[in-house]
This record gives sequence, C-alpha cells and structure tokens, in this order.
Amino acid sequence: MFSHYIDLSWRSFKRTPLVSLLMVIAIGVGIGITMTSLSVYHMMSMDPIPEKSDKLHAVQLQIMDEESSWWTPDDLPYQLTYQDAENLQNADLPYKRTALMKSGFSVHLDSDKLQPFMAVSRLASRQAFEMFNLSFKHGAPWSAEQEESATPVAVISQSMSKKLFGTDNSVGKSFYLDDLNVQVTGVIADWQINIKYYDLNNGAFNEPEQIFLPFSLIKAYEIDTWGNTNGWKNEDLRNFTNKMQSEHVWLQFWIELNSEEDKKAFGDYLMNYMQEQKKLGRFERAKLEYGLKDVNEWITYFEVVNEDNKILVALSFMFLAVCLANILGLLLAKFLKRAPEVGVRRALGASKTQVFYQHIVEVAMLGLMGGLIGILVAQLGLWGIRHSYDYYSNLANMDLSMLFAAPVIAITACIVAGMYPAWLVCKTTPSTYLKSQ
Amino acid sequence: MFEIKPIFNALLRSKVGAVLLLIQIAITTAIVSNAAFIIKDRLDYLNQPTGYQEENIFKFNVMTFGTDVDLAQQAELDEASIRALPGVIDAVTINAIPLSGGGSSTSYRLKPVPEKAKSVNASYFTADEHALNTFGVELVEGRNFTESEVAHDLDNTQSANVVLATKALMDELFPNGDGLGQFIYSGTKPYKVIGIVGMMKGPWMKNEERKDRSVIIPYVRIEKFNKFLVRTEAGRRAEVMKQIESLIHKNYSKRVVQDLAGLDKKKADYVAEDRLMMRMLVILISVLVLVTALGIFGLTLFNINKRTKQIGTRRALGARKSAIISYFVVENSLICIAGLVLGVCGAVLLGQQLMANYSVPALSNWYVAITAVAVFVMSLLAVIGPARRAANIDPSIATRTI
Repeated sequence: MFSHYIDLSWRSFKRTPLVSLLMVIAIGVGIGITMTSLSVYHMMSMDPIPEKSDKLHAVQLQIMDEESSWWTPDDLPYQLTYQDAENLQNADLPYKRTALMKSGFSVHLDSDKLQPFMAVSRLASRQAFEMFNLSFKHGAPWSAEQEESATPVAVISQSMSKKLFGTDNSVGKSFYLDDLNVQVTGVIADWQINIKYYDLNNGAFNEPEQIFLPFSLIKAYEIDTWGNTNGWKNEDLRNFTNKMQSEHVWLQFWIELNSEEDKKAFGDYLMNYMQEQKKLGRFERAKLEYGLKDVNEWITYFEVVNEDNKILVALSFMFLAVCLANILGLLLAKFLKRAPEVGVRRALGASKTQVFYQHIVEVAMLGLMGGLIGILVAQLGLWGIRHSYDYYSNLANMDLSMLFAAPVIAITACIVAGMYPAWLVCKTTPSTYLKSQ
Repeated sequence: MFEIKPIFNALLRSKVGAVLLLIQIAITTAIVSNAAFIIKDRLDYLNQPTGYQEENIFKFNVMTFGTDVDLAQQAELDEASIRALPGVIDAVTINAIPLSGGGSSTSYRLKPVPEKAKSVNASYFTADEHALNTFGVELVEGRNFTESEVAHDLDNTQSANVVLATKALMDELFPNGDGLGQFIYSGTKPYKVIGIVGMMKGPWMKNEERKDRSVIIPYVRIEKFNKFLVRTEAGRRAEVMKQIESLIHKNYSKRVVQDLAGLDKKKADYVAEDRLMMRMLVILISVLVLVTALGIFGLTLFNINKRTKQIGTRRALGARKSAIISYFVVENSLICIAGLVLGVCGAVLLGQQLMANYSVPALSNWYVAITAVAVFVMSLLAVIGPARRAANIDPSIATRTI
C-alpha cells in the first residue's frame, strides 16, 4: 500500500508541477537557512570530547583582592598566576593534571633546506596527552625526568612532522625553536577539534597547536605567553622573573577528576592551599573561592556561541515557521481541490484512515524533497560563511548528525503542516461528490 | 465603498487560508523590521571613521631567531631602511596595531594609586617619535614628543615621563578641557600629557568604552618579536609591501617576516564576524520576503480557481473587470492589514526580547513603520497578477458545469 501511495504522491506532484515545486522550494529554502545557522551553532556548542568531558575540569582561583572584580558571572579570573599553576602542577596529588600556556617561535632547521616559519606552540605537562585523548603515532610523551630537568624536547603533530622532516616518524630528530634546539620524543595524530576548549581565552576557534613542550621550559628559558596576560593590581613588572612572581594571571590549568569524591577532595585541597598562601600575604579576600568547571560548563561559561549566532538561529526558526504556514495554505488548497476524487474513493470503500495516510505520505514526500534541497542550500550557505570568515572555517560544516537532521526536520515539519489539510480532506462525505454538479 | 462587508463575510467562510496568510505576514513583518534594524546597526559600525588612511598603511611582524645581533640596534636600522624606501612616508616599531583586535590596555587615573581618583581604561601604544606621523593622525593641541623624550629600554630600567592622549580620553578625564600639561597616572607612575591627538581608533573597535581612548607613550623596548607599522604615499603601498621581506632579510637573515598585511585587511579580519552577520541577515530577509510574496501569489491563484464559477457569474451579471480586480485586492488588503497589526506588535515584542537578552540596541519605530509599508506594497504586487487573471475569466464559463 505504501508504495502505491508513493506512486499516487508522485502523480499528484506531476499534476500541479508549479505549485508542488513552489512548496518544495519553500521548504528547501526554509530548511536550508535554518540548517546553516543551526550547523554553526551545533559546531560551536558541541561537546568536543564526549567520552571525558565530565571528568576534565578547568581550575580557577579567586586571586584578586576585595576592590578588584572580573567580568565573569562568578567574578573568578579565567586564568591562573604562574605561582599557582606551578604549585598545583608540582603538588603531591593522585590526579592527572596539566598547566597550559600558549606561546610561539620561529621554527627552523638551521639550514637552507627549510624556509623558517612562525608557529604557535603549547606548553604543557606530560600528562596532557593522556588527559586530552591525543593518540601517539610514533614515540611517546617526554619522560618525567625530562620534564623535571627542563630538557628541550617536544611532541609534534603528524602534519608538523611532515612539514619539518618530510616524514611521519621524526622521533629522535631535532629542530630549532628560535635559538633553542629541541628533540622530538613523540608524534601525535593531528588534533581534530572544532573548538579549543582547553584554552577558550586565546582564540577559541583557532587551530590547535602542533608543537607541545614541557611546561618547565617556561622558567628555564623564560618563555613568555602569546595569549592574554591580565593584571588586577598595580605591579611593576621589570623582567620575566617579576612576571612569574606576580599576581598577573596568564596560564590555564586542567585536572582530570573521575568521581564526585575526587572533585570534593581536590576542592578541599584548593581551599587548604589558599589558606596556606594567605599566610604569605596572597589571596587577600575574606571569602576564598575556587572554580572547577567541566568541559561543557567551561564552554557555556565562556559564552563561545556568540550572540549573533543565537539571534540567527532564532530568526531562522521563525523563518521556517513562515515557510510552513505558506506550505499549509498551499496544501489546503491543493487537497480540497481533490475532494471529488477522494469522494469517489471513499464511496468505493477506502477508509478515512487510508485517505489520511495517503495524504500524509504525500506531504512527507514533499518534506523529503525539501529536506534534500535544504541540504544543498545549507551547503551553499556554509560555503559562503567559510568564504567570508576564515575563523569559522572549521565550524561552518555539517557533520553527520546535521545532515541527518535536515530531512528529519523537513519531514516532521511537513507532516505537522499537512495534518490539518489531510484531516480535512479525509472527512469528505462521499455523497456530496457522487451527485452530478 | 470597496464592498468591504461582503468580502469580509466571504472571508469568514474560508477562514483557514486567510489566517495562514495573516500569520505569514505578521512573522515576516516582525523579522524583517528587526533584521533591518540590526543590519543598519552593523553598517554604522562597519563604516565608522577610524582616523587612519587604512589603504595607505600596512603592518608586519618580525621574529628574530638569530642570536648574533643586537636587537635594538637592528630595529633602528630596519626602521631607517624602510623609511628610506621610495614611497614610504614613515615607519615605526610599535607594540600594537590599531583596528586589529590585539593590543594592550590599562587604567589611567587623575591621582596615583592608592589614592581614590577617577580612573579610565584606555589602550596604549608604545613607539618612538615617528608614531604620530606613521598613524597619520592629527595633533589638535600641544606637541609631539621629541627623540630625547623617548625611553629606549635596553635593560628594563627606563620608562617614559610624557605621553600623548586622544581627545576622547582627555574629555573623559578632564571634562573642562584643561588637561594639556597635566599629569595622568598609571598605577603610581606619572605621565605628563604634552599633546592631544584627534580622532584615532585603538585596537578594539567593538569596545564602546575603549575604542576612542588611547595614549601613545614614547617608549621602545625591542624583543625577539616586534611589530612594524608603515605608512606610504597614496597608491604606492603595494610596491612597498613587495620589497619588505627581502629588505628585512637583507638587513639580517636569521628571522621570519610574518603577517604582512594592509591595515584595511586587518580591519576587515577584525570586523569579519559582523560583516558575516549582516550578509546573513540580508539574505534571510530577501528570501523571506520572496517566500511570503510567493505564498500570497499561490493562495490567490487557488482562490481564483475555486471561484471561477462565481467570478464568471458576476461578470455575466454585468460586473466590470475592475470590480473583480478590486475584490481580490481588497480581500488581500484586509488580511494584510490584520497581519500587519499583529506583525507590528510582534516586531516590538521581538525587539524587546532581543534587547533584553542580547546587546542589540532599542528598535526604532521607524523600522517597524517602513517595514509595514513595504510588506503592504509587496502584498499588493503579489496579488495584482492573479487578480488580473481573474478579471479575464470569460463570463461564459459560468454557464458551463465544471
């Protein structure tokens, strides 16, 4: 029966090609515009590491005094001071954790073989790779000893390895960052994430870094940040040592806590830590506070989904509503015109349910066609976005879930719109149309 | 007049189609007026004057990895050799690029910390005495600093004592306009304001508070990574930019030249997001209006098909073509006006929602009014074609059975 209904739908489509096409285009455009803004929204707010997002936590400490305030809703600074990052990194705790910092260097091989270029890098602890589920193609993270002794070693991405050495496996080879000779201990698969959740403060949608260095190099080689440094109190920073000892915040810190107990225990540790530091004249506020936000909380907290996008999503759904009202009107007209035909079918024994079902199949088919057109329109729209805004090049894409959502939303919307006309037409009393007119 | 009553009664008998049309018109009005308003808001933002000849200025970064060179001397040499290029007006090493979205800011106060005093956040540029000429901005009061006032900080001990400030910052700190020659403080450090600069935007055009408030500090500290800003004669920027990389490498080879770009390009990158939003809204409302127009068009066509017999009868009984046309036009106008009444309320509500939840300014009623008129005109245009078709129905049709 279903295939027969499909056949009937197709015939009906061909009977009023112009109006049918109008309907399909209306749905297609409505879905296309909606999916364009929704895809960007989805990519921005998507959980970047679903298998672990509830375990990884960003650490914040209330370092400021009573007079100073931050622009966050809970008044906590986004980043940590160097002292706190180092203390937490070196504390005797059973949790995997990493301080992070964005920096950058001239990368070269001290030869003419390769044109020197500039690359951003990430300073981290050796545990970061495991925490963020980065997979090693070759080699391994640097050792605890190397981290301890601030040995100039690096883990690089596959692409970086190819660019520098023309091969995937560059373990043991060395290259230069500025004037520092660094040896590769491991090569990871390129980090594919559409949002840099581990450092939203310094370009949330930039590409992840491709060079990772031990965090201990910061102190040993006075490596400064390429991200934001925020001061809240007046300190005269004359040199890098001043900066490391200052109350300026410029580092990120992540910790992996596998249970509520862990979270509580680490929270208690932070409270104690701040109490200890208070004795040294730091953490001047009466009320000590810390923040432990998991990945999704962190993304929400940073409001990375920008306002414009939210406005666009809201407007495009309203737009879709207009398209549906449009289709509903056209369907109504189309179906009611067909009432005499339905009357004959009812007289020949078709039940109301069957008539209703047949019409629903017809609108669902329109929905499917509209959904497919919608995908094309959305691809065009996303291409336009990528084209006009480089920064969104990773975001303006449809993943599988969105590709699947397009026809689903289209068909659902059409069925909702088609319910009323289908119901109206199946109520037709056969007798009316069997009389001659 | 226009036979409104019978038309209205006829409408009541086939409500659904009319109600759907009404909803479409209402939502369309609400969206279009708000979107048009946001578009205008963004256009104003994108086209605001910056104070620079963006098309004659470019920037680039230099990263030095070689260690056998004195960075400070090298920077002076680079500046001199760029200034010597034909077509270059001036060049300077600087800590931040205007309109680029990246820079430094701090608070300036009327009294040193810890005294309580008025404090204003401003972005700061640090460069030598060539900064003003490289920016190409106007000095409205006082003087530029001289070479002797520039602190060349080689060992983290030097700092500047004088400063140039923008008029916008001075107006905020010294509302009486007597700020020239006074001191402003950053923390405990005093700076004497020796010159006031006219309109120039800082690194952040978006930040209402900070965008016009900047200071230029005569301070140079050369590190491994430096930014250069260059202003050229009109129309000669491209040829100068082509020579930069080889010139820098010729002066000293162990370094990387990076992000060589015009100021207009930096600005375009910074405002790309807003330009994108504007484009998307333009597309959205164009398509929306089209879809609504098609809806009116389609529905009227169907109505005519449904009423062919009645129209034929009316024509046979002596109705003029114009009467038939006016019937459909009036019918459509009735629906449209009802939709507009709803739509205007919807637009105001939507505007309030956007203002409450997002940083969208208050919707001006002009936009709602103009949108309403435009939607009305659009609906007339959409209905006129089908209505004329209806008027051409042959009266003989009425005498046949369908």
